[in-house]
Amino acid sequence: MALPIQYNLRNVVVRWRATLSTILGIALVVSVFVLLLALARGIEASSANTGDPRNILVVRRGSQAESGSLVSREHFRTLRYFDEVARNEQAEPIISAEVVVIVSAPRIDGTGEANTLVRGVTPRGIELRPQVELIAGRWFQPGQREVVVSRRLAARFAGFEIGGTIKAGQANLIVVGHFDAKGSAFDSEAWMDADETRAIFDREMYSSLLVRPRGPEAATQLMKRIEDDKRLSLRAELEVDYYSKQTMTATPIKILAGIMGLAMSVGAVFAAMNTMYASVASRTREIGTLRVLGFSRSAILFSFLIEGALVAAIGGAIGCLMAIPMNGYSTGTIDFQSFAETVFEFRVTPPLMLQGISFAVAIGLLGSFLPALRASRLPVIAALKSL
Amino acid sequence: MTRLTFIAKNSLRNGRRALLTVSSVAVSCALLVTLLTLQRELTVPPESEAASLRIIARNKVSLAQPLPAKQLATIEKIPGVVAVTPFTFFGGNFRDETVTSFPQFAVDPARFRELLVEGKIIDGDYVEWVKDRTGCLVGADTVKRYGLKIGDRMRFTGTLYPCDLDLRISAVFQGTVDDRGLFFHHKLLDEATGDLGTVGTWYLRVASAEAANDVISRVNAAFANSSAEVRAETERAFQMGFVSMWGNVKILITSISSVVVFTLILVTVSTMSMAIRERFRELAILKALGFQRREIFSFILAESFGLACLGAGIGIGGAWSFWTFIDLQSLTRGFLPYFEVTPRIMATGATIAALLGIIASIAPSIAVGRMSVVDGLKTLD
Repeated sequence: MALPIQYNLRNVVVRWRATLSTILGIALVVSVFVLLLALARGIEASSANTGDPRNILVVRRGSQAESGSLVSREHFRTLRYFDEVARNEQAEPIISAEVVVIVSAPRIDGTGEANTLVRGVTPRGIELRPQVELIAGRWFQPGQREVVVSRRLAARFAGFEIGGTIKAGQANLIVVGHFDAKGSAFDSEAWMDADETRAIFDREMYSSLLVRPRGPEAATQLMKRIEDDKRLSLRAELEVDYYSKQTMTATPIKILAGIMGLAMSVGAVFAAMNTMYASVASRTREIGTLRVLGFSRSAILFSFLIEGALVAAIGGAIGCLMAIPMNGYSTGTIDFQSFAETVFEFRVTPPLMLQGISFAVAIGLLGSFLPALRASRLPVIAALKSL
Repeated sequence: MTRLTFIAKNSLRNGRRALLTVSSVAVSCALLVTLLTLQRELTVPPESEAASLRIIARNKVSLAQPLPAKQLATIEKIPGVVAVTPFTFFGGNFRDETVTSFPQFAVDPARFRELLVEGKIIDGDYVEWVKDRTGCLVGADTVKRYGLKIGDRMRFTGTLYPCDLDLRISAVFQGTVDDRGLFFHHKLLDEATGDLGTVGTWYLRVASAEAANDVISRVNAAFANSSAEVRAETERAFQMGFVSMWGNVKILITSISSVVVFTLILVTVSTMSMAIRERFRELAILKALGFQRREIFSFILAESFGLACLGAGIGIGGAWSFWTFIDLQSLTRGFLPYFEVTPRIMATGATIAALLGIIASIAPSIAVGRMSVVDGLKTLD
């Protein structure tokens, strides 16, 4: 017969002082673990949400990111008239030749400067990225030194508010609007007119081409055609594939989460073990009594395991609660691919919280196994005699 | 029995608990030291004396924006400038690697000698490099890492420039703060790219550290209101600019470190309380025997302090030896080249552990101080 869970629950409550520190300790470990994973999740979400499966991104062969890519105007003209490229109602090819430049701008908190990615786009380019939505002000006018920045970037850099100016060497770019890119990589960008960008930054070449092929088959054909054309020396990839490769940046955070989780949990397991051993020791007579009453060794082992898991699960739940306020908090660091600051959010999702609680339960089970084993093996008579 | 053996025996009489406490303190200390080292690695670039003599001038727009090569003539004439060379980051991938695991720069070899202040040529000949247009000067760390020697070919795929490089090692240097870099002829890059007439940055040497500020303002002024405005700063300031690009990573590591410390406190405090609670009766007997409160406090303090310090010793020592003997540079593909656990970091860890030992003894001491001898003797477990 198994011991009622009520017994463990009451024990936890009665010995609250001893269990409190275990609970808190586990809560802290779990919150760090969950937050690091939430960060990795945010980075992944930003890459996953970027790109349209119908679009193809063309960059220079050998370049790792758009910022290091060069596409000549001849190549642009050649690609423009490829049959595979879709056309809009005005019979214009849906292709956007874009320029990506890096502009250094002062941070809003006065802690120096950081790089911002400025993308020179065309009207086609805006149409090709439906996740980008203007939320305040207006779009830039072609031929004007006007720029529309992401809402999240505006919160991090000085002068990015509507009406503010971004200094790019001699040129002053006026911020005329804010956009929201739904957590995608475009949330780390500022957009302006492509030709104006080329003029200001003295770029003869484009950085990339964003193309909408006629259909999935045309897409495959177009990619093959570009890859095979030795004169072009370009690389074509589905836009989604390109951005999912940029997910690379989440890996170090995931590794860090793993290492931190492991190392901190070792400490937490030891602490839990300590508490559980003390709990078993102080309950020796009680356990003896339970055995006399007819509860089997396995019932006692099981009961103590449940208790350990219960305490840990409470800790885990508290840890998750502690992590929740960080959900949606945006933070940023340098992206080594584009060399510009990338902004992302902590994403504390329900699956992550479940993962955190399971992690806590694992700590609890590990920490209580040896003490529980000891409790179940106590010799009945000696246990009853003990003080 | 002396007091010391009394304390030692008391600490170890519940061997399992002592072991668990010491291990959890050790693991946490090791973690703390690792985090502090990581933070230092990311935020404090290695310092060198010569860095104050060197100035980097980049395009004011951003580091990624090139500068016109014709600026050289103007910079050379600026008083206080001893030497100046173009300094262009190539960003190539070595052999078949998929990341740029060490930096390559295009420079003017004849002038670069003046800038390589602390570097010593340990193999090959500098003059040979100046003569050989496809030659390169490589840092000793890179040479060692890939098992290269003088005369070996090094192939690079350009990720930033639309060209590949095939270089031959002419000389090897050592003694700079970062012995990983590779330097090659800027002329070679110009040829490969069809002479863009641009450079990445300018690298300047000034006569003295005092002259640096003057030179910086003169360089900045020389190109003010031109089509390519320049931001000149000391090499140190330039490096710190890189550090600031890490953004919130620093806060992230700091907050994790503080959570680790807090967890550490929780663990130790709860263990010490447990250890003392078990011994209430004994401590009451000690009191009855005429031991002063002060002495009993010192027993508790010594035990708690001792356990914490033992744990710290094992943890910090372990972290030090682990990070010293592991080759993190190749594991992280050049991302964390040094990861040096400095004495300062170890001292920080040890101080925190020592404070921890003291803090952990406070609550039990108060409990024991409050207890009356009679109540204490009545305690059952």
